[in-house]
Amino acid sequence: MIHIQNVTKQYTLTKKQQKELQANTNSINAVNEVSIYCKPGRVFSLLGPNGAGKTTLLRMVATILKPTSGSILVNDKNTVKQAQGVQKSIGFLTGSTNLYDRLTPAETVSYFGQLHGMPKEQLKKRTHLLFDQLDIHKFSSKRISQLSTGMKQRVSIARSMIHDPDVVIFDEPTSGLDIVSANSIITLIKECKEAGKTIIFSSHIMSEVDLLCDDLAIINHGRIIYNDTMDSFRTQSTGQSLTEAFITTVNAN
Amino acid sequence: MKTVFTVLKKELTCQLRDKRTLKSMLISALAIPLLLFAVFKIESSFINKENNKQLNITFIGAHAEILKNEFTTKAFKIKKNHNLVSALDALHKDSLDAVIETNADYLKNIDSLKTSTINVYHKSESPIVFQKISQQIETLKATLLSKRLTQLNIDQKVLHPIAIKGIDLTSDQEKFGQLIGGFLPYIFIIICFLGCLYPSIDLITGEKEKGTVETLLSSPASRFHILLGKILCISLMGLTLATLSVTGIFIGIKFINEIPVEITEMLHQILSLKFLAMLFAMLVPLSLFFAGLLTALIVKAKTFKEAQSIATPVNMLVIFPAMMALLPGVELNWNTVFIPILNLALATKEIIAGTIQISHYFAILLSLIILALATLYYSYKQYNKESMVL
Repeated sequence: MIHIQNVTKQYTLTKKQQKELQANTNSINAVNEVSIYCKPGRVFSLLGPNGAGKTTLLRMVATILKPTSGSILVNDKNTVKQAQGVQKSIGFLTGSTNLYDRLTPAETVSYFGQLHGMPKEQLKKRTHLLFDQLDIHKFSSKRISQLSTGMKQRVSIARSMIHDPDVVIFDEPTSGLDIVSANSIITLIKECKEAGKTIIFSSHIMSEVDLLCDDLAIINHGRIIYNDTMDSFRTQSTGQSLTEAFITTVNAN
Repeated sequence: MKTVFTVLKKELTCQLRDKRTLKSMLISALAIPLLLFAVFKIESSFINKENNKQLNITFIGAHAEILKNEFTTKAFKIKKNHNLVSALDALHKDSLDAVIETNADYLKNIDSLKTSTINVYHKSESPIVFQKISQQIETLKATLLSKRLTQLNIDQKVLHPIAIKGIDLTSDQEKFGQLIGGFLPYIFIIICFLGCLYPSIDLITGEKEKGTVETLLSSPASRFHILLGKILCISLMGLTLATLSVTGIFIGIKFINEIPVEITEMLHQILSLKFLAMLFAMLVPLSLFFAGLLTALIVKAKTFKEAQSIATPVNMLVIFPAMMALLPGVELNWNTVFIPILNLALATKEIIAGTIQISHYFAILLSLIILALATLYYSYKQYNKESMVL
């Protein structure tokens, strides 16, 4: 589970940034007093326009950033005080296929497995299983730079799932992907849900949200403006498409 | 430590698969011996050419014919010319190498035991011309002097009441240390720095630019271990390049025929295990210092270009103290022992010359280790700031 309690992330602005943002103060709250709860076996979707604070919030869950105030618990472990414990239980997958061009898929997955402290035998077995599931074997020895975007995305999934995490964070995982590659991510999210994992994913593609999500939060200007189940959101938006309902909610706040 | 080696292994794999890195390593290894070879080859062929060149000269003045007799060797070709103006014009147009002019009272002065002046017009762009003509005139001068002394019944020794005999106690090794000692560290310090520069940008800024840093930092590996693995890789690249360049210099010297035998023999004496161990022991903390310094400086850069603009001026900070070691009078003492880079350059000079004081050497080694640890700590502080790594 992921339990986010009154989390605020404040950034100090440089004079140049103050000018660009026309801000009167020298700090800005990218995330402001956010509280959400993601349950195991359910998909929690974080929706919001660009710059709303989705990535900042997910980076805090992934321990890359520290909250200015409030706390985040992942499987009852604090992301600041017990960061290493949290890191062992999370998988983090972003939209852009961020891989090392000069390594092969086998080397990439092995590298992250080793960073997670996996024993050699376990790493070998898990790699084989993931490469089977994601059909990576045929290009596992090719350099990443020689792979197509779809292939890279499959390697990214394998890298994020190598240590079989209980909690999976997806930050706009399908952005910029073709339909086939995007579908492999959707399948993965479904499989994770069936396996009882806690899933939080950010997106602005309403069809994906409609297909996958159990719970939903809409974030705008760093604040949560809607937080309920997907069913409730559907009920509230009668007569409107989900996209229209999302826009109405954002505009109303 | 396992994580450090995992990161190091991965980073080394990436670096060695990068064509740009391999090219720069190969160029560093080959460039120095090739440059040395080219410089010595060009210089020796230039000197040979100048020495064997037949000089076109002409004589102006009433007593030109007398002087001509002194220039009958093959080294000179005497051209006819009627007056000084046209002769100088020919000199300007390079159809003549020199014009030798005698005064009207040339013979009269010589006969009356006075001084006669011979004007030698030449262009200093070819120093060997004046040198060759002077040598011929010096021979004439010696003959005339001898005649005068005989005429006056004076012993030659009267002219030399004191003879100065310099006895140089500098060993050949010390001379060699002065000759190559300043140049060698200048080369390997710069190359070590350049060897660290590109990998540091690639490993630190490259991760940010490609967006791989997020997944790396969300892994359970500690930031310190990740950074240490990266710094070790950067340092190894710098160390390898510096070692290759030093090896290149010595291989170059060994195989360049134009280098005097005494120097190559000296080289064999210097290239002892002790010399190599002492040099390598200093290179290790130096490369770690460069790696830590560059990492700390470029960690905030978001793009490759930005990182380059931050790191390039540091080059000057490295070149300046390395160059200072080439200046005469700058020596290794307790004042210079703690000036980074300069101390290493001066120490190398003294190791080659065989005059290094062991207390100086260990002080330098210790100061370099402290400096390397300080930059490592500073780079960790920087790398730990979340605003710096994303």
